[in-house]
Amino acid sequence: MVPSVAGSDSRARGGLGGLGRALFAVGLAALAAVIVRLRGTGGTPPHHGGWRLLTAEDLRSDAEGAPGPGGTQAAGPAPE
Amino acid sequence: MKPVLVGLGALGVRVARQLLATGEQERLLVLSRDPSTAQRRAAGLGRPGAITVEQLPPARPGGSESRRRIKLRALFDGADVVVLACPGPLRVAAETALECGAHVVSTCDDPEVAVDLMDLSDRAASAGRSVVLGAAMAPGLSCLLAAWGAWHLEAAQEVHVATLGTGGPACARRRHTALREPVDEWRDGRWARKVASSGRELVWFPVHGGADCYRVDRPDGRLLVPALPGVHWVTGRAAASRRDRMTSWLPMLRPPHPEGTVGAVRVEIRGHQGGLPRSIVLGAAGRPAVLGGTVAATAAQRAAAGLLLSGAGGLASLCPDPGDVLGELVERGLRLFSFTGDQPSAAW
Repeated sequence: MVPSVAGSDSRARGGLGGLGRALFAVGLAALAAVIVRLRGTGGTPPHHGGWRLLTAEDLRSDAEGAPGPGGTQAAGPAPE
Repeated sequence: MKPVLVGLGALGVRVARQLLATGEQERLLVLSRDPSTAQRRAAGLGRPGAITVEQLPPARPGGSESRRRIKLRALFDGADVVVLACPGPLRVAAETALECGAHVVSTCDDPEVAVDLMDLSDRAASAGRSVVLGAAMAPGLSCLLAAWGAWHLEAAQEVHVATLGTGGPACARRRHTALREPVDEWRDGRWARKVASSGRELVWFPVHGGADCYRVDRPDGRLLVPALPGVHWVTGRAAASRRDRMTSWLPMLRPPHPEGTVGAVRVEIRGHQGGLPRSIVLGAAGRPAVLGGTVAATAAQRAAAGLLLSGAGGLASLCPDPGDVLGELVERGLRLFSFTGDQPSAAW
């Protein structure tokens, strides 16, 4: 007759249950990460202004002292 | 001028068209891995007899590199400039072209290729030849826009490049890879490792409007940092959809399109002027292969004409007058833009 150890089944069940809970937590975290990563947008569009077509003269105007790109604006607050 | 074009994909076709349309040469030698396809594409350019197609000696793993060099040397013999409009590795072809006394123009946007070819700088400089790296839409046109914008600031401190769209299949595959490879970003005077597909920003492109853009592994920083001393932040982003990002770690689920029809690039240069912070926002719109092919052909003709500096680097480093090059690109039909008005400050 093989002697049995009292409580061994419950310990095994507890180990498996702990593993299951850990896997469930990891899965939940992964799901949350995917949702956070994929949702939303990256900012707001410009409120005023637009794109101005540059001519060859604009681009070569440096030597003539013309303003070049024009339409420059103050940058926002220092990022981050 | 005697050019040799390696690769006749979506971008290579545009390079060929530009070279034949605006160059003095009547003939163009094209080397292709698939000469029969290249013959068909060459016939579509409407210049019968102007293009000669030859088999590109393949790089076989474990094969004899010296035999490949000998074959390439025979093909590059007498060439003024070799345009490498194909994916890497390109080291052997670039070295052989330099040995033959030719300038080299590479359109590849793989950072590993850029770093590999940057090693040729001393050899190219001593030979009085230029090795132009990343001469396409971004890098390439983006480098020229960044250099021109920085020229209008007393001190350029940041350059942020964003792109929309891809050229041919090789470009699409490279972008797919770039969305998952670790990104080296120049930040505060050193390279910082960032996660690809992170750092979402809504970028407003000319013609196409807004698109969410994410970090990608592109050599913008590698090429711009040496060209713009004092710059402490350089980023490279590309527009991507949720599906692009979710599937970037998988093989491409379906073959890429023959050519992307939508494309744009936006470059923001931040710095100081008169003690005040200023930013200049420049852009371009068009098919990426058309933008890239026009830039590569222009770079090749300028290199052959001795209008570029010798050494290896991006167009921002090798073009002494980026405004003149951009002016020529406009005359060739590219649409370049400057943003005027309020610009919400991006965190980048």
